[in-house]
Amino acid sequence: MEVSHKRRRKLREALTGYAFVLPALVLFAVLGVYTVGYGLALSFARWNGFSANWIWVGLGNYRDLLYRDETLSPIVRDAAVNTAVVMIAVPLLAVVAGLPVALALNRITALRTTLRTVYFLPYVTTGIAVFYAWTYVLQPEGSLNAILKGLGLGTLAQPQGFLGNPATALPTLIAVLAWSSIPVAILLYLTGLQSIDPAVLDAARVDGATGLRTISAVIWPLLRPITAAVVLLNLRDALQGFQMFLVMTNGGPGGHTNVLGLQAYNLAFFSELRPTLGLASALGWLLFVVALILAAVNVRVLKSRT
Amino acid sequence: MGKCQPGTRILGAAVAVVALFLGGVACGSDSSSGAGSTLEMWTFKQAHVKPLQDAAASFKEKTGITVNVTAYTPDDAFKSKIQSAAASKNVADVLEVHAAGEDFVLGGSGILADLSSVVTPEWKSRFLKGTADAGLVAEDRYQRSLKPKAPDAGIKTGQYFSVPLTAGTFGIVYANKSKLVAAGLDPAKPPTTWSEFINWLKIVNAKDPQTGGLTLGLKAPTTGFNWALQPLTFGLLGKEKYQALFSNDPARSWASPDGQRALALYDQLTPYWSPGTQTLGIDDADRAFAQGKAAFDIGGTFTLAAFQQNGMNPGDVVAFGLPAAEGSVAGPLKLAPLALTGLAVSAQTKKQDDAIKWLDYLTSVEQAGAFAQASLDLPGTDLGADASRLLGPDLTTLQNVFGDAAAGAYDPADVTFFSPAYEDKLAGEALVRMSPLKESTPASLSQELGTMIATSWK
Repeated sequence: MEVSHKRRRKLREALTGYAFVLPALVLFAVLGVYTVGYGLALSFARWNGFSANWIWVGLGNYRDLLYRDETLSPIVRDAAVNTAVVMIAVPLLAVVAGLPVALALNRITALRTTLRTVYFLPYVTTGIAVFYAWTYVLQPEGSLNAILKGLGLGTLAQPQGFLGNPATALPTLIAVLAWSSIPVAILLYLTGLQSIDPAVLDAARVDGATGLRTISAVIWPLLRPITAAVVLLNLRDALQGFQMFLVMTNGGPGGHTNVLGLQAYNLAFFSELRPTLGLASALGWLLFVVALILAAVNVRVLKSRT
Repeated sequence: MGKCQPGTRILGAAVAVVALFLGGVACGSDSSSGAGSTLEMWTFKQAHVKPLQDAAASFKEKTGITVNVTAYTPDDAFKSKIQSAAASKNVADVLEVHAAGEDFVLGGSGILADLSSVVTPEWKSRFLKGTADAGLVAEDRYQRSLKPKAPDAGIKTGQYFSVPLTAGTFGIVYANKSKLVAAGLDPAKPPTTWSEFINWLKIVNAKDPQTGGLTLGLKAPTTGFNWALQPLTFGLLGKEKYQALFSNDPARSWASPDGQRALALYDQLTPYWSPGTQTLGIDDADRAFAQGKAAFDIGGTFTLAAFQQNGMNPGDVVAFGLPAAEGSVAGPLKLAPLALTGLAVSAQTKKQDDAIKWLDYLTSVEQAGAFAQASLDLPGTDLGADASRLLGPDLTTLQNVFGDAAAGAYDPADVTFFSPAYEDKLAGEALVRMSPLKESTPASLSQELGTMIATSWK
């Protein structure tokens, strides 16, 4: 009798547990598994989002994107090159600018909180409105040109605006993207710096290491996992993010700032209702595969270095 | 309070769920028809909401039918809204859609009702010549829809999906009167040829290089191609050779000397673009013109409303059709009006009779005139002798550029000669790379466009 009672109680407890988990499972099944499955299926179909039936094309969408469509594939290739440039430049800038600022913020005592807030502002304010604000700053009659002229650096001013000149448009967008991503790098590096055992730094000092030597031989290796996280986060943003490109240039001028995320968005919503949703989905899956490879590489780097 | 038994709790919960469900159904559905019923209408044009609401108020007085108007902007949000609503069978009763394009896509997908049995010849006779059948699936349109990758698959010849609400045309040049006067030009005598127009640009730009240029929302790259290059080329070459530029014949396509000649003419604009125009969207460019940052703006008949919304007095603007080049086959260039937006009825609505009444009311002469005055958008309804009274002087001026497509006017609605896979965005981006970016020449661009057109036919 006692055993049976215990078993019933265990069963009830288990059922109660499952009942608590069930809503989350259903939610995930509907919002996660269903949409992921739907998106994957769509990547093998031709559909404009309105018609009742999908036309199955197998791997046709992937082939069109990669090499078969003589109009589309060169555009995708150009967008991939731009995306690669952004993926290299933004994480690099985040590390190169984020670490020194974090080191400085970690060292100073006066105004530390205020300065941390100031450096973190770009992250909390970033978004569509700020990207619009940047476009005004970067226009031909914008404040950046005015400042450059005011400082006697008129030769650096851009008569067509920084986004209107094909040579400066992509570097400018990279700078704005880095501006919004550096605060997170600073925050992560600060967290990493504060977790370093002071005894290690003291030992380096006792051994006669200079400040620069301590950074390069002690702090930098200890912060490698943080650097990996900063790089991965920015790689992901550079690979998948497109809002800034959409708002500030829409891929222009003349297609010079088109990136893969924006190309997928345009295929989905701005192809004059052509049946290109499948192409957009296929491009999304290609981006997913790249992101997966990058994540795997990152995991490997973390494993081997820590 | 006593404790509920588990069975009672389950029963209570079940009753509550059923009550909520029924309540939800009762809230979400109003299938009653006639006086006292309510129609939902969606539009993608924010500027149309107030004029439509005004019309809805007078419509309610006459019929007792309420119309709720909601705008979903920008265009992609509107399309997404329809996509998701169609999937959940919740599309509004009436939609304002892009005419002669979006209506066919939605109609072919079964989202819009076929109005062919409702829109009678008498009703069609209200509309401007060339616009009445914008929503009609003609045989050539149907044939194109059968091609792979055609967006409007599913349409059938003879179906009719939308009646014109607004009409107009592209290729209208707007100039700032005070800047013209300051440069010593007479706004009352606008240029009649392309070279005169280029000369005007040169004079005003020389007077004021910073704000005396030409703007166009080239961030949306199709604008330069569709609104300026195409009408200019049509005038230069005439209809037959113009259409051949988009054909599968390399000897006659954009790669031909004809194509190169047209591109060379367009390239004459290059020195006169206002700084940074390639970074401006359509609305940004109109705003820049309204704020005096540019002396010229190329747009459509609908652009005048944008100037007014941005605080510019329409009386301070001189408008004229894009002038044809000397020696043009189809010059002087006239522009045929096309239906820009249409009114369509959802195939899902249970209140089709009320929706038809609303469409009928909106396209009546008096109401179309009131709508035009409030929105500064030309109506699809032909206002006849009352046009100048109902439209006012500014819109009447715009109507002067209209011509009859049958008599040789450029008809932007005629896209039957394009490949179904032709993408004007790509052509537009290539054009931007030539002008204003100077990254290509008319010769190299003509080859690039020729390849692009040839590929679209494969």
